[in-house]
Amino acid sequence: MIEIKNISLWYEKSHKVLDDISGTIQCGQTVVICGPSGSGKSSLLRCINGLERFQKGEIIVDGISVQHPDTDIHKLRSNIGMVFQHFELYPHMTVMQNITLAPVRVRKKSKTEAEKKALEILERVGIPEQAFKHPEALSGGQKQRVAIARALAMEPQIMLFDEPTSALDPEMIKEVLDVMIDLAGQKMTMVVVTHEMVFARKVAHEIVFMDNGRIIEKGAGHNFFNHPKNKRTRQFLSRILI
Amino acid sequence: MDLTVITNNFKFMAGGLVLTFQLSLITMAGGLLLGIILALARLSSKHWLYYPATFYIHFFRGLPLILVIFWLYFLTPVITGKSLNEFHAAVISFVVFEAAYFAEIIRAGIQSIPHGQSMAAYSSGLTSFQCARHVILPQALRNMTPALVTQAVVIFQDTSLGYVIGLREFLRRVNLVDAREARSVELYLFAGLIYLAFCSTGSLCSQRLENHRQRNWI
Repeated sequence: MIEIKNISLWYEKSHKVLDDISGTIQCGQTVVICGPSGSGKSSLLRCINGLERFQKGEIIVDGISVQHPDTDIHKLRSNIGMVFQHFELYPHMTVMQNITLAPVRVRKKSKTEAEKKALEILERVGIPEQAFKHPEALSGGQKQRVAIARALAMEPQIMLFDEPTSALDPEMIKEVLDVMIDLAGQKMTMVVVTHEMVFARKVAHEIVFMDNGRIIEKGAGHNFFNHPKNKRTRQFLSRILI
Repeated sequence: MDLTVITNNFKFMAGGLVLTFQLSLITMAGGLLLGIILALARLSSKHWLYYPATFYIHFFRGLPLILVIFWLYFLTPVITGKSLNEFHAAVISFVVFEAAYFAEIIRAGIQSIPHGQSMAAYSSGLTSFQCARHVILPQALRNMTPALVTQAVVIFQDTSLGYVIGLREFLRRVNLVDAREARSVELYLFAGLIYLAFCSTGSLCSQRLENHRQRNWI
């Protein structure tokens, strides 16, 4: 469970990236965050696993306060998988090495054990035959599935997705979304920054609309799409839903 | 052309070449080590590391090497009361000077790796040391290898400046043979060929590496 309590983040006093954000994400739920670029979605995601520091408020992940000085941030992060817009696969490693790096170095698994597990996960995301290639030999959709596999190899409690399909060609979006829908079906706790409203309709327990560092509106999928209360939300939805 | 002057004095000049190589290798190792430390300091967010390292780098990049050698060789006795021998003075000046150049190559190499790579590494629970060791440095090293090899070639040439404090490296010995035998044309052509042979081999390696790097990661 993720509890976000009144967090604010700013780079200079005048420029607030996040402004008094609160919310709770229950175990096994999928929350979709949408909003125009620069609205603070990605920053919020990075605050959850401590990649970005906020100045005010508190985030508690499974009972552990992210920014508390006594928190073992590496341990906390190892339980939170993250997937990025531009994949961020390690180009000097094979797919297999990408996936086994953290399990071997952080979880101290043996190489054989980690590789066995990696193959299982690659099977699950549908690309076991790519295991010994370098990332540059893969298509965008395959790269992103490797990135998801890499995160899953740590057996995380929570998965964070930062615009996972924004850099993909249209015909590759589905193969990535299918993997994510599958994950949601298996009750993975997920926070997904995306504009894929089809995905949101299908799996999101809650949709959050952000603008200018604030949460403008949030609601369950059906209500959010059919009866948006806020004018800004309606405007945004009308633009992206065509 | 009388090439016997070269064959007759070959052993003596080859001895100088050995010294040139020793000097180059020690300078590369020392310069690289000090360069890594300076580069890390320059990338640090801590002011007490960043400012001294930045000052050091700008300071030595703003001076001709020959001046650094003179300073060290002639000023050390004034300050400490003890004179340095030529070899030590040369090694120290080269290391101190080249480190500034290595530092900038290394810094640029590390900064050439996109921020997202460390984000990905940190997000999986790696520590900053593990992130540097397994994710950033292998890629950075690959990016900076051509520049490092080029710098090594420059160092090899720069060692000839040791002659100003009487260090008997290769060029100085050729010069001494010439003083005795008065065969400037043959001797300096020979010296040029030797430098060319080693330096162009180095440059060729650097180019190969560059092409290889652009072609693939394997």
